[in-house]
Amino acid sequence: MAQDTYRIRLEAPGLAARIRPGQFVMVRPTLGLDPLLGRPFALYEVVRGEGGEPWAIDLAYLVMGRGTARLAGARSGDRLPLWGPLGNGFGLPRAGVRRVAMVAGGIGQTPFVALARWWMGQERYGLGPQPGEPWVEAVRLYYGVRTAGYLAGLEDFEAAGVEVRLATNDGSAGYRGYVTELLERDLESGWRPDHLVGCGPEPMLRALQGVAGRLGLSCDLSLENHMACGFGACFSCVAPIRAEDGTVDLKRVCVEGPVFDAARVEWESGEAARGL
Amino acid sequence: MGVRLGRLKLANPVLVASGTFGYIRELAAYVPLDRLGGLIPKTITPRPRAGNPTPRTVETPCGLLNAIGLDNDGIDHFIAHHLPYLRTIRTAVIANIAGEDEDQFVAMAERLSAEPGLAALELNISCPNVTHGLDLGVDPTIVRRLVGRVRRASDLPIIAKLTPNVTDVTVIAAAAAEGGADAVSLVNTFKGMAVDWRRRRPILANDIGGLSGPAIKPLALRMVWEVQRALPNLPIIGIGGIWTADDAMEFLVAGASAIQVGTATFADPGAAGRLLEQLPAKIAELHVSRVSDLVGTLRSNREPDPVPPSVEPSRRIS
Repeated sequence: MAQDTYRIRLEAPGLAARIRPGQFVMVRPTLGLDPLLGRPFALYEVVRGEGGEPWAIDLAYLVMGRGTARLAGARSGDRLPLWGPLGNGFGLPRAGVRRVAMVAGGIGQTPFVALARWWMGQERYGLGPQPGEPWVEAVRLYYGVRTAGYLAGLEDFEAAGVEVRLATNDGSAGYRGYVTELLERDLESGWRPDHLVGCGPEPMLRALQGVAGRLGLSCDLSLENHMACGFGACFSCVAPIRAEDGTVDLKRVCVEGPVFDAARVEWESGEAARGL
Repeated sequence: MGVRLGRLKLANPVLVASGTFGYIRELAAYVPLDRLGGLIPKTITPRPRAGNPTPRTVETPCGLLNAIGLDNDGIDHFIAHHLPYLRTIRTAVIANIAGEDEDQFVAMAERLSAEPGLAALELNISCPNVTHGLDLGVDPTIVRRLVGRVRRASDLPIIAKLTPNVTDVTVIAAAAAEGGADAVSLVNTFKGMAVDWRRRRPILANDIGGLSGPAIKPLALRMVWEVQRALPNLPIIGIGGIWTADDAMEFLVAGASAIQVGTATFADPGAAGRLLEQLPAKIAELHVSRVSDLVGTLRSNREPDPVPPSVEPSRRIS
């Protein structure tokens, strides 16, 4: 798709029928013992057959280590262990939401093609209720990467009618600087979404949380904490989340997330956060 | 496939290891829970514990290094929230407990013994990621006294889960047996670390962690065999890198009466169920009908072969 960025199609009809945007799957890149663990990948898109039945899922990923490097070497016809759908995913669009800004950093754009198509009523996902009329009218993607070579999937967003606003650290495409700075400039010049969603590295999510808080915008963040199992057994991926009563507890991102209301997300982990 | 470990009877020798199976409900979609020989939820402590900061786990070659730090909501929450669910599963549920001192172990054992629905207690005296756990489990005097006190405080069968981070595990196992343990679980994780040399920092927030997974299987097998040889009457539950039915068979012949599937579940959530499905055929290959007939039948290469059974048709003598 782009520099070090690949798209893989996995035949899994049952999973494809159930998975919703923002949910993820764990894929082990080998049948052997090394690398040992599965890696989490957000749904990129569901693939339908000629009769419209879901039969495969597409994942988009950046090669970052041994697991993703092995996955990039997989060949058509290989069998790989995978399990899912995992996590809560994004919900239906909140009442009254017409314009959405999706803010992505690095490889964090991957859940947003499907989410934009779902919320704009172009595609159905999962077995549960689907967004009712009226749909979200407009989605803008704010997409930041180090350099233009990493921009992946722009044509998919454009095909979905998503307006794409780019930022790169080196200025090789779009705005030079952080994607959240670009968002703030657009907000200052008058463009106003009803809702924000974010996926990307922690500094970007923290900045986005700040923007949402200052402007009083609802915002959902998809966290990317390090995981070992993906189904709630290992307690690796915990994040401090503030409950309605103000107490902060460590939540497993894999089962209680990965999508959280930005207003509830804390960033200091461990004993201090929980007051123990 | 039934096995017996002291006072504890199990429908089959396949259990799942504490800390790798959540509070069991997380795996309900992946494993036929009531078919397993036993289920051991994540360690519970007297009070809620937040556990360690993240990163808590890091993958290593064929292994996993973890320093979760006994993140749990405490015994009250376990009894109120998890035990009612666990009682609905028709197999042995074994609570794994950890205290910071002997009194806390005893108090937890008393409380859980008063609750219906548990088959046994497994004492976690071997967690490498908390201040006190390892200290208790490396001292045979403490292990003997601790196991004895818990045994007197509870009617439930007692399993001591031992650390491999000692010079001679048979000494600790003997102490547990003298204290009255019905069985020992061998082994918990090996202390280890992973390093990011560019940052010149350990990768785990806790600096060190416990190593599990296929990487430790040969180490665990050696320890099971040593304890079986030293203490042939002490039932052993083998743990360490078990993924397949072949792995389980290796532990059974080496001296384990039962096994626990641990880290394999993280990498393959259906692993324990598949292992259980494939085990009878492996057992049948050795021409035994009961699991107990093969436990500890491993012979040293320095020992002669046993006299082969006669292949002649039996003759009537009189």
